[in-house]
Amino acid sequence: MVSQGLRVVHYLNQFFGGLGGEEKAHIGPQLREGFVGPGKVLHDAVKGRGEVVATIICGDNYFAERTEEAVQQILQMVTPCRPDILIAGPAFNAGRYGIACGELCKAVQDRLGIPAATGMYEENPGVDLYRREVYIVKTAESVRGMPDIISQMVALVLKLVDKKKIGRPAEEGYFPRGIARDESSDMNAAERAIAMVLAKIKGAPFESEIESPKFDKVKPAPPVKDMASATIALATDGGLVRRGNPEKLDPRGATWLRSYNVKGLKALNPEDFACHHSGFDTVFVSQDPNRLVPVDVMRDLENEGVIGKLHDKVCATAGVAASLSNAKKVGESLAEQLKAEGVDGVILTST
Amino acid sequence: MKLELNVLNIKDVQFSEKTDIINGVLYINRREIQELLQQDKRLSKVEIELAHPGESCRILQVSDVIEPRARIGANDTDFPGVLSKHITVGAGNTCALRGVAIVINDQNAVSGPSHDPKGNIIDMSGPGAELSPYAKTHNVVVLPYAADGVSPNDYKVAIKLAGLKAAVYLAKAGKDLKPDEVEVYDLPSLPKVSNSMEHLPKVAYIFQAYCTSFPAIQGEPILYGDSLRRLVPTLVHPNEILDGALVNPYQGMGMETYAIQNHPLIKALYQKHGKELCFVGVVITVSQYTEPERERSAAIAANLAKSILGADGVILTKSSSGAPDVDVAQTAQMCEELGVRAVLIMWGMSQDGGADSSVVFSFPKVDAMVSTGSPLRQVSLPAMKRLIGRPVTLPNGAPASSEFNLRLLWISGAVGQLGNSKLVSVQY
Repeated sequence: MVSQGLRVVHYLNQFFGGLGGEEKAHIGPQLREGFVGPGKVLHDAVKGRGEVVATIICGDNYFAERTEEAVQQILQMVTPCRPDILIAGPAFNAGRYGIACGELCKAVQDRLGIPAATGMYEENPGVDLYRREVYIVKTAESVRGMPDIISQMVALVLKLVDKKKIGRPAEEGYFPRGIARDESSDMNAAERAIAMVLAKIKGAPFESEIESPKFDKVKPAPPVKDMASATIALATDGGLVRRGNPEKLDPRGATWLRSYNVKGLKALNPEDFACHHSGFDTVFVSQDPNRLVPVDVMRDLENEGVIGKLHDKVCATAGVAASLSNAKKVGESLAEQLKAEGVDGVILTST
Repeated sequence: MKLELNVLNIKDVQFSEKTDIINGVLYINRREIQELLQQDKRLSKVEIELAHPGESCRILQVSDVIEPRARIGANDTDFPGVLSKHITVGAGNTCALRGVAIVINDQNAVSGPSHDPKGNIIDMSGPGAELSPYAKTHNVVVLPYAADGVSPNDYKVAIKLAGLKAAVYLAKAGKDLKPDEVEVYDLPSLPKVSNSMEHLPKVAYIFQAYCTSFPAIQGEPILYGDSLRRLVPTLVHPNEILDGALVNPYQGMGMETYAIQNHPLIKALYQKHGKELCFVGVVITVSQYTEPERERSAAIAANLAKSILGADGVILTKSSSGAPDVDVAQTAQMCEELGVRAVLIMWGMSQDGGADSSVVFSFPKVDAMVSTGSPLRQVSLPAMKRLIGRPVTLPNGAPASSEFNLRLLWISGAVGQLGNSKLVSVQY
């Protein structure tokens, strides 16, 4: 028996909530009973299963400037409404609104344990930030097609409430969440490959089963001005671990980041370090870890005055088919750490 | 070349006084086959065990799987360059026992970077069996043991030969019998292949058969017995691949000799030849791991496909993983640059189900990939009653017949890189 009487809460920004435009973007969260503005479409869409019991309106700037505080305020307002579902937006191409919708949906999922959904245009920065954790329905860039978008959002959350299987992104209208699942096909890979190459030859559309990663362009930092007084750090993705790998760190995937103190060491000692990496034969590095992380050579350069100082810490992870997101996370942590430790430049050694 | 596979459907395998095939049952004189295989002085002894579909049985340390085959012609030999002097295979008649497989157990096998001593496994029943084609064959497991003083390298070569010899020995029992079905593989040479098929798109297959990233195994027989370390891309007739010219390399991940003998992509191309496409031929390559060598190999392979075979499109498969993925993608990119449309049979390296950036390359024109399922995903296997192979223990101290999780890749045959997998990695 499907549950009825579902209590839906709707989140809108100042514009869709009817308070005004940019000049009202600073307004803090406000609670209204029932639906507001485009919430009527939502209310109609859930008829028979529930109703919009409350609407939260919040200014985009207010949310953006104090996100965690705003989330907590909104959760405090929303909890007494005893919501079963949260619908946020849709935000179309509005960036701050999109991020607010994504952040709020994530918060109610994690902290209230209730299903949520929102909608955005593909270039909205909220998409890349939240699509892995939140169901984001694809919308056009401009504000149109509200009834279809709302009904897709509602269909998704009702499936979540009913614990039904959610279909593929293309079928249900949401951005891929970055999950891969193995399913059975009638045709084996050879047959599917032949069908795909024939389509390609013909110029007919085809859908690749795997996507190559898309890299964004990173602006390089300016060069080190004065090498002779600079502190240079060594870091590696070659899987440098303590001998015996006591922490049982992964040999692949960039799932960890460690720092080893090399203060005063003339070179890395094979009694203290080893190499744990699933992508190459680690024997030579385990025999002499300086082959991977050349502390010995850096000491020479330090003594010769070529660099000011070798940083006290050597940092490491194990790469090998690391996902872009893991590589990004490790890279960002590493950069933050080294910056805080006063490092001017890093040499990354790899395999 | 025209190859006819005389297929005998085998529905059971049993030990008996005499090796014979009667009413679809393969009887094996165990002592006779052991004595044959024990002639190799690199081996101290060879055990033979049988495992049947549906049995609560787990086979460990699977090194290769081979279909029993024996060429029928008067002066014919099998696995040329390996078991015998060189002859060209791929034309004439070969007897094949369908429903039986030789499974080679390697006492020293390990899998993965943590050197798991269970190696590749086959479960004959349960969820593991559903994932492997080799749970559906009656398996004759060959367990060779190294003689004293034999190097690991020589042992690896000896066990391969033992498996191939066993495959030929068994198939010979069916040489004179009337086949249950005959599979015909008939493909003329290039000037004639597209006769009356001028209107059909020309499709070629680029087969990366070996990965040079691993240390060489001295004397490892791969293509007509050659160890392929320095292969410049070249052409082979697809029938040669089906008929024993190519033996699975020791490090072949997601590939077995059985899959090569029954090559799913070659079979599918043959099926559609003359109907939806014209199958113009096979380029064989090995993966390179330095940039200049990879570029050269990819360019030569692409030009063979374009300027010699005249392909409109190519399908590429790979051996092993990592650098071979980049190699095969680079070859696909070069094909596309020459105007030849390319499709890769590829797998995603994601360990945690993440679909983002699950491949290790990003070439702008490489945009058409078919997946084999996710080799690194963890699968749960239940306990099995019987264990065949070296009885190792799990990290928790339990025997290898107990339940455990392992990566899909280590189930023999589960993520076939030659195209037999019906698993698709779907994006959600």
